[in-house]
Amino acid sequence: MSTKTLKIGYYALLREQRGLSEETVETAATTPEELYATLQSEHGFSLDANQLKVVINDAFKAWDTPLQPNDNVVFIPPVAGG
Amino acid sequence: MSDRPLDPQALRDSVRNVEAGGFVAFEGWVRNHNEGKTVERLEYEAYEAVAVSEGNAILADAMERFGLLEAKCVHRVGTLELEDMAVWVGVSAAHRGEAFDACRFIIDSVKHRLPIWKKEHYTDGDSGWVNCEHCAHAGVALEHANHHHGASSTATPQPTPGPSQEGNSGPAFGDSVAKATPNDTAVVSSKIQDETCKTPLLGGAGGGLNSNNAPTPAAITEAGYYARQIHLKEIGQAGQDKLRQARVFVVGAGGLGSPALQYLAAAGIGHLAICEADSLEASNLHRQTLFDAPGVGQPKALLAAERLRALNPFIDVVTLTDRITRANAVDLVRDYDVLVDCTDNFETKFLLNDVSVLHKKLLVQSSIYQYEGQLFVYNPDHDGPCVRCLWPEMPKPGCVGSCAEVGVLGAIPGVFGSLQAMEVLKHLLDLPDKLQGDTFFMDLLSLRSYKAKAERNHDCPVCGTHPSITAIVAEAPVELDAADLGGDWSGYALIDIRDEEEADGERVPIPFAAHRPAKDIQVDALDIDVPEPWLLVCSRGMRSKYLAMALRKAGHAQVFSLRGGTKALVSAK
Repeated sequence: MSTKTLKIGYYALLREQRGLSEETVETAATTPEELYATLQSEHGFSLDANQLKVVINDAFKAWDTPLQPNDNVVFIPPVAGG
Repeated sequence: MSDRPLDPQALRDSVRNVEAGGFVAFEGWVRNHNEGKTVERLEYEAYEAVAVSEGNAILADAMERFGLLEAKCVHRVGTLELEDMAVWVGVSAAHRGEAFDACRFIIDSVKHRLPIWKKEHYTDGDSGWVNCEHCAHAGVALEHANHHHGASSTATPQPTPGPSQEGNSGPAFGDSVAKATPNDTAVVSSKIQDETCKTPLLGGAGGGLNSNNAPTPAAITEAGYYARQIHLKEIGQAGQDKLRQARVFVVGAGGLGSPALQYLAAAGIGHLAICEADSLEASNLHRQTLFDAPGVGQPKALLAAERLRALNPFIDVVTLTDRITRANAVDLVRDYDVLVDCTDNFETKFLLNDVSVLHKKLLVQSSIYQYEGQLFVYNPDHDGPCVRCLWPEMPKPGCVGSCAEVGVLGAIPGVFGSLQAMEVLKHLLDLPDKLQGDTFFMDLLSLRSYKAKAERNHDCPVCGTHPSITAIVAEAPVELDAADLGGDWSGYALIDIRDEEEADGERVPIPFAAHRPAKDIQVDALDIDVPEPWLLVCSRGMRSKYLAMALRKAGHAQVFSLRGGTKALVSAK
């Protein structure tokens, strides 16, 4: 299975749980849904994908959007602080 | 706080309640020795505003936690002789168990959390300040109180001490309550208190508010006030006139609201409403720069209004000290064109979104998390998304931490509240590159920012083609009457929240779906596995009401309390 390089961004609670806000990963995932599932099992994120939004190349996208090499993928949890 | 000797008889009478089966009091006395030295007399000194607000928080916490009927605590300040009473705590409750536990809880919390210091005078002529267990000086004490308060308020949704609603006198912390609260703030009204005022109130009704000696309004002119921004070619006098006509409703005078309100007021928004139900706490001050330390304990909306009127005498500022809810939101915002969401909870954020869509208001929203924040604008005149296009369902409260839970650095809401003011001005003045539809994100550590585009979602429950939300409907009342139900409990899972001992003492011929003593229920970690709607039942209907309100606030819409408790249950059966 071919892999691709992606830039991943983490926001808010995810950034806190991952311990960094940005990283580059090599992945076989074809959609953000698969990608998040892999990252969640690796890093133990408390939120499931259905509680998050995903932004790919600066636009909110559906979870089954096909990933392209070098995509910039950011996972966004809900935030309410004020 | 009291600077006069305490009268235990009068205090005892003040916590009498016809429903009470027991009363427990604790008296702290001045003793003649401490750490091997002989003590002659004592002096107590307090950071009074913080002590009162912390004290009230402790009492409210205890009322809820133990289901008390009444609770009161008074602490002396000033000089005390041997055997004088330094502190009095009294509680009344239906049963002795809660009363003993609550009294202990209150005195321990008071000793631990309140910024009160004592100076001991010894027989050898020497004297020394003795602090509370963990504090070395005032600054530390303040941090200390505020740390603990933060911790307690996350576990305990602040019950509004509403005497008339609860049918008892509610928590009261000594004589200073009246002093710490301006008269006009006790009113819980759902109308805006129109306090329009063309001149700044210097040292006015707000009591402890610290107004500087501002120049008299006569010395400054409107043209002079706005000179620098009128000078911008995109604004000019025409732009300034637009701002004077503008009607902007700001919800939340906290971390985001402080800069947003200040820049909007200073820019000359002609009609500015401040909607904020909370009183100032010490833990607010590091980020809520509208306020000063002496204001702790006072209603933030009124403090903010006074500051803003002093800042700009040429605008009208109105305040609302009630919470915005589904029941009052539409009426409150009717006369306003712009809503600025500076709140800290999903419930209000989603309510404001729905109001904006259904009633065509511009919505400028921001939320922050630790070192990051986001900014979003819904514009009814632009074919862009609303909040629900992205998040059709409100996220479950508690799935991500609030500022109280996860912490926040004050400058973060400072930046985002300023951005909110800027977006309001861009829209009102029709400046280029307004944010609308996109969400702007920024991490203040890395200084990375980006805008994420979003499309309108035609399946959106509020702005979509076939919306399911078409009006703002008030939520169901918390309390249910046994008589109204007519003995038919089938629509509810009845949850018995009485202690084992109480439940054994009063058998009720109704099959409860679950039994969970109130003291074991944690709102943010529920282990009740029966499906809602729940009807909570205690013996008198007070603990169940507090708990139901806390659960509602935590997002459980289908939780009710049986008015009158098991007594009502038995008679209805």
